[in-house]
Amino acid sequence: MTWSGKLVTGLGLAALIVLFGLFGPLFTGDPATIRDIGLTPPGGEHLLGTTLTGQDVLAQLAHATRGSLWIGVLVGVMATVLSGVFGIVGAYAGGVVDEAFSLFSNVMLVIPGLPLVIVVAGFVPADQRGTWTISLVLAITGWAAAARVLRAQTLSLRNRDYVAAARVSGERTWRVICVEILPNLLPLLASQFVFAVVLAILSEAGLSFLGLGAANSSTLGTMLYYAQNGFALQREAWWWFVPPGLIIALFGGALALINFSIDEIINPKLRDRARRKRDVVAATAEVAPAEPGAVLTVRNLNVVYQGDNPVHAVKDVSLTLRRGEILGLAGESGCGKTTLAYAINRLHRPPAEVTSGSVTFEDVDVLALGPEELREFRWVRLSMVFQGAMNSLNPVTPIRAQLQDVLRTHRPGMSTPDRELRCAEVLRLVGVDPARLGAYPHELSGGMRQRVMIAMALLLDPQVMIMDEPTTALDVLVQREILNEIKRLRDELGFAVVFITHDLPLLLELSDRIAVMRDGEVVEYADAEDLYLRPQHPYTRELLASFPSLTGEPGALTR
Amino acid sequence: MGYYLRKLAFYLTALWAAVTLNFVIPRMLPGNPVDILMAKLQQRGGSVDPAARTAYETLLGTGGKESFATEYLAYLGNLLRGELGVSVSAFPAKVSDVIGDALPWTVVLVGLATLISFLLGVGLGAVVGWKRGTWLDSLVPATTVLSAVPYFWLALILVAALSSGLGWFPLNGGYDVVLDPGWDPEFIGSAIYHGTLPALTIVISSIGGWLLGMRNMMVSAMSEDYVLTARAKGLTDSRIMVRYAARNAVLPSVAGFAISLGFVVSGSIVTEQVFSYPGIGSKLLQAVQNNDYALMQGIFLVITIAVLGANLVVDLLYGLIDARTRDRSTVS
Amino acid sequence: MTTLEVRNLTKKFHGVLAVDDVSFTLTAGRTVALVGASGSGKSTIARMIARLVHPTSGEILLTGPEGVPLPRRSYRDHVQMIFQDPFASLNPFHTVEHHLARPLRLHGRSRTEVPSLLERVSLSPDLARRRPHELSGGQRQRVAIARALAPGARVIIADEPVSMLDVSIRLGILKLLARLQREEDLAVLYITHDLATARHFSDEVLVMHQGRIVERGPSDDVLVRPQDPYTRQLAAAAPNPEARFREGGPS
Repeated sequence: MTWSGKLVTGLGLAALIVLFGLFGPLFTGDPATIRDIGLTPPGGEHLLGTTLTGQDVLAQLAHATRGSLWIGVLVGVMATVLSGVFGIVGAYAGGVVDEAFSLFSNVMLVIPGLPLVIVVAGFVPADQRGTWTISLVLAITGWAAAARVLRAQTLSLRNRDYVAAARVSGERTWRVICVEILPNLLPLLASQFVFAVVLAILSEAGLSFLGLGAANSSTLGTMLYYAQNGFALQREAWWWFVPPGLIIALFGGALALINFSIDEIINPKLRDRARRKRDVVAATAEVAPAEPGAVLTVRNLNVVYQGDNPVHAVKDVSLTLRRGEILGLAGESGCGKTTLAYAINRLHRPPAEVTSGSVTFEDVDVLALGPEELREFRWVRLSMVFQGAMNSLNPVTPIRAQLQDVLRTHRPGMSTPDRELRCAEVLRLVGVDPARLGAYPHELSGGMRQRVMIAMALLLDPQVMIMDEPTTALDVLVQREILNEIKRLRDELGFAVVFITHDLPLLLELSDRIAVMRDGEVVEYADAEDLYLRPQHPYTRELLASFPSLTGEPGALTR
Repeated sequence: MGYYLRKLAFYLTALWAAVTLNFVIPRMLPGNPVDILMAKLQQRGGSVDPAARTAYETLLGTGGKESFATEYLAYLGNLLRGELGVSVSAFPAKVSDVIGDALPWTVVLVGLATLISFLLGVGLGAVVGWKRGTWLDSLVPATTVLSAVPYFWLALILVAALSSGLGWFPLNGGYDVVLDPGWDPEFIGSAIYHGTLPALTIVISSIGGWLLGMRNMMVSAMSEDYVLTARAKGLTDSRIMVRYAARNAVLPSVAGFAISLGFVVSGSIVTEQVFSYPGIGSKLLQAVQNNDYALMQGIFLVITIAVLGANLVVDLLYGLIDARTRDRSTVS
Repeated sequence: MTTLEVRNLTKKFHGVLAVDDVSFTLTAGRTVALVGASGSGKSTIARMIARLVHPTSGEILLTGPEGVPLPRRSYRDHVQMIFQDPFASLNPFHTVEHHLARPLRLHGRSRTEVPSLLERVSLSPDLARRRPHELSGGQRQRVAIARALAPGARVIIADEPVSMLDVSIRLGILKLLARLQREEDLAVLYITHDLATARHFSDEVLVMHQGRIVERGPSDDVLVRPQDPYTRQLAAAAPNPEARFREGGPS
């Protein structure tokens, strides 16, 4: 089901039940009327049969649904207000207020709710247990989880620049909360409200079933209580105890579906993906003979993001990477350079699809490899270094495990001490103390993490390394060190590099040849020197002009 | 080690809050529990001397004879000595003995059922998330609807279908009453046989939450760069799924254990009632129905301590499986 | 002439000195560039001047055209900030109109000025009804600049205003800032890690390292002939294809 399908089903089902609760009682007559036709099965005058004392089950069901919904809404509103106060206000205020509110919420969260409610209900004499009392108690024991979620979200929103910008504009605190923060919390608040309503209806049903509900109330829980005490189960009067539970389950299910859709609106990643039968490679390549000295040849490669509006991300790209060469791939965001890099290693995921062209690695037709062959090809022949080194390393395991994983998989015969030696060796190569093998990624600086990634890429002595913006997130000085490291390693070990970045001056300094990409096409492909001194394509010239030289004339930046 | 100390301090605070709540509730709410208790005690033929009255007053309030502070200190003192008073519904048994008899039943039932449901839910959630875009996706709404079913109603339906209808399981109880409780295989077998249906109820009702949470986190984790890197590294699918995606995705499920455990405990109290299971949930209701306030309070405290204890264990475990939390300076 | 003077500004976070005894003056019609690596304290200075962060010690003094100190209350009429990431600094929930009308109203102006404000940053007034996600990165940053201008500010703090934008539109935004500064006689603090734009875009440069200003002076002097070892290191680290191809480096 798509998210909108879920939403429609959920809303429809919930609306039906709400309508039944609102208007059902008007049509079904008095639920309390006692007749001498106890436990009549459904049919005829009593569509859902009768109870032990001959009351009409349908009439009871309509009144009980109304009662349960009323409590659900009451508790939902109260709990949402409470969680908003403790979650949002606390998080925005920060400091001691936040600490106190957060501690209070967490304490309320770990104290089990229903036992507390039962104890409270047990102390209050039955004749004083009104609907409001029960609702209040349920709200007080049920707001904490939502407050925690709201607090986390508010903390993240509070640090957004648009909140800071509103403060710089001179907005007052309450306006910042209500106008800048609250609207962005609405989906979350809605989902927490829905959740609170379901929880309240379930809890109230439990309480009433135990005979601890509100006095003189009529809810689905009290109906089940009477059914249980009238031995409906033992007398096999299913029409008495099945419908109330079914209404709760359907209503809960409907709200759960609504919450699904809200979740999917908040986080589009969660949406169901269309099922795909085709592989991400649709091309049947005619492998062209490679140029002598070439290690990687890309011919007329096309990658399309399939969908209602297919996006042609890589258009007819042909590149040749020679042994030991550094090939620069320059372009701005969205030009297709990363898609191209992924497609070379077949790392692109649906809906991206290679529609035609070929990728040849020495004698290997990469696009034709079977899944297992592809897995054995990766990292052994071609390794990659990605942009965010923080995110490329698994945050929960030490770097040793992540380096050793590669050896364990691709060199199963290697002994444990040999593996350890090799890991230490590559770390030394990139200038990281092997003693850091036990460190977790968060314990390393950004530059250090990127060095570890490069070390990992070196583990199996691959012929080619693809580096996707490996220094973009780093400071100039660290970037310089890493670049020098890459050049030195390339000279020592002789691997070839595809270096992807938007930083053309960097490529001009580093690469042997450069391809400039725009809108999925390679618009210029030349030796670095030619590209710098004699750019042919207007876009190349525009890019070159975008980087004023530190020592030269201001050029385009004349004030 | 700041993390562990902070966690310990937090749970001590929570424990103090629960104990204080337990002290405040009977004093704040309407009704006169001490008089009711004394009347009950008299009915059961217990001694109604001033000493018995004082004991109950310490627990439930003197009605203004003593200062709040004095009452509070006396109450805390009694708790520390483990004196929870005398139960009137199980007279002349002491509250602590009644709880002691019932507790193992619940701990084993709820503990095992929670563990099974957590492992199954997280395991299935990981697979469903990993295989996104296949028929497995439809499992998610299905199990979530199951978790919207009231525990006790599901229990009733299961009893109607499997016990009354098919006769596979006993209707109620924790063991066959002709047997004497003990550690013999026959009794244990009978206990397992009687416990299956209650456990099944808890597992079916609670598995959806774990499954959905894990599936969503799995989907998020799979778009992380470290999973992409793992794929580029040519690792096997099973290794990527377990060591990279699931290993990270499980963290929020573990961190959110407290919330879910609260639901399970609440649900199992009502479930025990349906099955007349000899656990602490049935005892709590027995206490409520008989105005046995001392037993009620004792059980609330014990449940709270058990839940806090379980959460503490899980939090400490979390520190072990996620190195980042140990180094973080603030509690979130 | 409106002048903003920063005197002995210091900020400690949990005992760590993020900004250490920094002083400088922003005057109308001049651009001062504050350069340094991330973590050098330059953004903290921006946030202190924008009154988002309280200084641990030191003063920020705002003087009006007649040389009279301006009251704290009207500080935000005069000092505004442009944030680094235009994808984060505009609220996804609100329209462009809202982003500009609010600061106008807060500072006693009329929302009818929104179209002219958009024109000042070279945007079509038709964009007013759009929401941020319907705009390109460059358009968003122009809206953010218009928002800073809305209160009639005389001092603009631009915190890495182009580093999140695509390279081919960066110069356009910088030129817009330069034009506004010239036409409206603004005082601008340009915070960046990019030495080349700092040199061409500013009159004076302050180089920050670990919370301190290590070198300052006219931009050509500081960046072309740096004296401080750290500034030299920075200048040498920037990619420089010229050295490779024009001055006989290895090719």
